[in-house]
Amino acid sequence: MEIPVIRNVLEANDKMAAQLRGLFAARGILVLNLISSPGAGKTSLLERTLTDLAPEFRMAVIEGDLQTDNDARRVAASGAQAVQINTEGGCHLDGNMVMQALGALNLDGVDILFIENVGNLVCPVEFDCGEDAKVALLSVTEGDDKPEKYPLLFNLAQAMVLNKVDLLPYVDFDVQRAEKFATMANENLGVFEVSCRTGEGLEGWYNWLRARRAAKKPA
Amino acid sequence: MHEMSIAANIVDIAREELGRRGLRTLTRVEVRCGALSNVVADSLQLCFEALTAEGPFAGARLDVVEVPLVLRCRSCGKTFAGTEGQASLWLPCPLCGAEPGHTVEQGREFFIQQLEAE
Repeated sequence: MEIPVIRNVLEANDKMAAQLRGLFAARGILVLNLISSPGAGKTSLLERTLTDLAPEFRMAVIEGDLQTDNDARRVAASGAQAVQINTEGGCHLDGNMVMQALGALNLDGVDILFIENVGNLVCPVEFDCGEDAKVALLSVTEGDDKPEKYPLLFNLAQAMVLNKVDLLPYVDFDVQRAEKFATMANENLGVFEVSCRTGEGLEGWYNWLRARRAAKKPA
Repeated sequence: MHEMSIAANIVDIAREELGRRGLRTLTRVEVRCGALSNVVADSLQLCFEALTAEGPFAGARLDVVEVPLVLRCRSCGKTFAGTEGQASLWLPCPLCGAEPGHTVEQGREFFIQQLEAE
């Protein structure tokens, strides 16, 4: 017998994401899902951000990695709360994992929650974690054609942070090309050229965070 | 490799739909897969087969039907078929020649269209 169904395959995750979104809205927490290739500098960006904005905001981090709690220990050194999720080989975080991780966090008074996804430009994009915005992180030691190869991430992200710009004199990365295609995929994409090593350009990223945080008041 | 998670979701939904109708044996699932949905059909087949190797779903067939890409030009506002797949995103509008910056009208969806069961 034939059964017409029409059900979104990822509906279980979407339901969990909606539940998370409600929970974050009730507490007025800004939630950002950081997505990049391995090694682009997600953890470095968080270390900088958590340290530099500590006087302004209370922040917490959910770290996703296949193995180890190295990243959680790195960001916790800034004094922020951090909880590690080990996906044991899984290529992305999903709503269910984030919900479980919240059990290990005290959300009282938290202004911004960062979700550092597993390093991967494909799978994490498909799984909503209840965030307000996805943030794409790219670095100049990668190919400048990443936005062309992975348009969905840049289309769905609200900000793109281009890291390691202090290395531009030593690499062939074409900033204009990367930004051209990223903004073609999404004309409203906020683009920030930064170096987490030198601190260059971070103020623009911080101002974006401040504006997003101000826009998200407790319900 | 998120195809395993996706295959597991398909199996869960099928189990729920069959259970609700008192059916036990799944024979076929048809999913509609947008051209931009980032799902590798072959890999999904492999995962689906692995998850249904035993039990009442053993031997069930998975048909992945691609939903073609349709884009809308930001300049002239008309829709056109993305015949070059993902690369169409970066090609000028075939109708008015405007630079890319097209929006995706169709091609991201990924849903179960139909189940067949006994």
